[in-house]
Amino acid sequence: MTRLHAAGITKQFPGVLALDSVDFDLESGEIHAIVGENGAGKSTFVKILAGVHKPTAGRIFLDGKEVSFSSPRDAASRIGVVHQERELVPFFTGASNLFLGQEIGRLGFLGAAEMKRRADDFMNRFGMNIDLNRPATELRSGDQEMLTILKILFRSPPIVIFDEPTAALSIKESAALFTLIRELRAGGTSIIYISHHLPEVLDLADRISVLRNGKNVATVRAPEVTEQELIRLMIDKDLEAQYPKNACSRGKDRLCVKAFTVPGGRFGNIDFHIRAGEIVGFAGLVGSGRTELAKALFEGFRRYTGEITLDGRAFASRSPRQSIRQGLVMVPEDRRGEGLVASFDVGENLAVPRLSQHSWLGFKRRRRLLARSERIVHELAIKVFSTSQSVTTLSGGNQQKVSLGKWFDTPAGIWIFDEPTQGIDVETKSEIYGIMEKMAANGAGIWFISSDLRELVEIADRIYAMKEFRIVTEFERPFSSEAILTAMMGQKPHSRTVP
Amino acid sequence: MTTSRFFTRYGTILAFLMLFVVFAIGVPGFIDPANLLNILTQIALLTIIALGFTMVLIVGELDLSFANVASLASVIVAGLMIHGVPALIAVLACLALGAAFGLANGLLVTRVGIQSLIVTLATGIIANGLIYMYTKGVSFYSDMPAGFLVMGRGKIGPLPVLVLIMFAVLFVAHIMVKNTVAGARLQATGGNVAASHLAGVNTRFYKVLGLVMGGVAAALTGVLLTSRLGAANPEGAGGFLMEGFAIVLLGQTAFSVGRASPLGTFVGALIIGTLNNGLTLLGAEYFMQDIVKGLIIILAVVISSLQTKRLEGKV
Repeated sequence: MTRLHAAGITKQFPGVLALDSVDFDLESGEIHAIVGENGAGKSTFVKILAGVHKPTAGRIFLDGKEVSFSSPRDAASRIGVVHQERELVPFFTGASNLFLGQEIGRLGFLGAAEMKRRADDFMNRFGMNIDLNRPATELRSGDQEMLTILKILFRSPPIVIFDEPTAALSIKESAALFTLIRELRAGGTSIIYISHHLPEVLDLADRISVLRNGKNVATVRAPEVTEQELIRLMIDKDLEAQYPKNACSRGKDRLCVKAFTVPGGRFGNIDFHIRAGEIVGFAGLVGSGRTELAKALFEGFRRYTGEITLDGRAFASRSPRQSIRQGLVMVPEDRRGEGLVASFDVGENLAVPRLSQHSWLGFKRRRRLLARSERIVHELAIKVFSTSQSVTTLSGGNQQKVSLGKWFDTPAGIWIFDEPTQGIDVETKSEIYGIMEKMAANGAGIWFISSDLRELVEIADRIYAMKEFRIVTEFERPFSSEAILTAMMGQKPHSRTVP
Repeated sequence: MTTSRFFTRYGTILAFLMLFVVFAIGVPGFIDPANLLNILTQIALLTIIALGFTMVLIVGELDLSFANVASLASVIVAGLMIHGVPALIAVLACLALGAAFGLANGLLVTRVGIQSLIVTLATGIIANGLIYMYTKGVSFYSDMPAGFLVMGRGKIGPLPVLVLIMFAVLFVAHIMVKNTVAGARLQATGGNVAASHLAGVNTRFYKVLGLVMGGVAAALTGVLLTSRLGAANPEGAGGFLMEGFAIVLLGQTAFSVGRASPLGTFVGALIIGTLNNGLTLLGAEYFMQDIVKGLIIILAVVISSLQTKRLEGKV
């Protein structure tokens, strides 16, 4: 019996067609997985099913009846969604968290004994061994994760969506989760399972739908496909038609990292190098350690083994300040949280890292700073009325230009760009690529982190694929998107891969 | 700039001007130069302590200890002079004490990672304990050196020295915030600590610096209070906590949206000072003054939050 049927689901965001007439159905007691590249539309689809977004067009049927959810609350009793984030009240006990929002009580008093009994029954049913009498904060991280999931299952919704549930779980915990999901299926619950880990998906799912560019390009029975076939379905054919890129005039190594290992940390034996004039892409799934590696170097670290040289000198840093002094700068992913000071205007933001260089006896040289700001605004074509405009009034693209423009005249050898084009319109995206290419042409080494394989393949000279805090493979032009995707998401999760 | 934007942007200053004009017309004796100087003298101590708190707010922290630190400085400077310590050394020792409180606050916030609200609540209580340990609860009356009393009571020409000191502190604070590298970094740190850290700003240092300036300003206020009264009592500066908060909050609504600034704080102090003075001249009861002040603060904060919402709506 068809539990859920979605017909022609379309979602138009300003400037982006996120979902294009997606058909999808889910049987009772079925695990139906959805896979696809970053930006293929998976999370938009989930949000529509969960009532977060309203579809621009299309209809959703539950048990044959058309439904229209007005809010996530409205959808929650029918469709439970397990997000990647923990949603627990920290100081409540496990039991109180389970019952949150549906407490049992008489005359306004909580029926503690009754809740305890029901919670224990529920835990026994799933063979879980979590102490529900302890505050959530005192539970182990994996148990907290599990409790978040159990909280949703506790309401016994007929449909449960798992959105990347294993991202924060250990191997053992993942195995427990898979057992739980299979038990749910046996009990007749229908499950939508979203994951980047293809082996996991192939192992667990009954059917798999592949989303690409907002379209459902195929729905296949899991036993009938291979990992390679799935990856091939996920890849955009246009992607293979790469722009011929001028072989860059590669200089000597600017940054060279050899066997970088943080004892007791997650990084081990990281080897890579970035040459002058080169744009080096870092591909990997969220949680693969791309950003963490950049931040480890830029924000500084105390204990490590291995050898890091920047422009021929040994590099060691304990703070961004020291990194900047040695010639490493970073344009962070979270523009508003880490790139800009919201209460500052454009000129003030641009000045932050270069105040000392434009000062006299501790006083700002305002005219020089103003001239510098105006030069940056002009050169990067930042659309502002004046440099005294508040940054919060700028578009995402212009905010990004301010965030990177502040480093403009820094004599840095290596620039880290973390997701520089996320949430930016197409036009500004190509401007940002232009800026990166120009900087490379001027001899800088560009460290380019992106979730968008398309842009990596288009812009980068070389690409490192990362997985589980290791660099798994290095790719040279011409790139094979298939090979890169396979390196990023293929093979067994949690197992070490040989480069 | 539309009319409504003009009013939200400069509303606080306009409110002050309107208040001033209304009192000038309606209250006999208000516009008298001696009375105007009187207002400045009355707000001088409050302004200085609030300028310190302004620096704390600029780095994005709170300070609940400043009034007690001021009281502590006021009794210690008196006590030291009674024991024959030269005035200059007594004053410097008190300023150092204020700096030490600020430093302790700053280190507990930045190194131990406790919220400033809690840290300064605790250090404020400790300061209070030290006051009673030192004074046993009695006020200090004594002959103090004339040179010391000049700060609080002297005049240069028609201008009270206290008012001149207030303007000097205001000038230094304003120039520092507006024109120096340190000032820009203090504001960056308070504006977005993560972004500033990643831009190479030593955010811990600037947080500590903000709190130290708050402590020094509080100690200076305590010293000046003793100089003005010629005596020191254990709770002398206690009233500055609420009023200091009030005028800094008022000041945040002047000039730049939600950004504390020395000039804004001065405008806030002028409003409260004018209100106190005018209402007193009108013969209003003391409790009426408090009620009116409370209402004005609510009004100002409402305006300020409307401004902030308007800005956020545009992101």
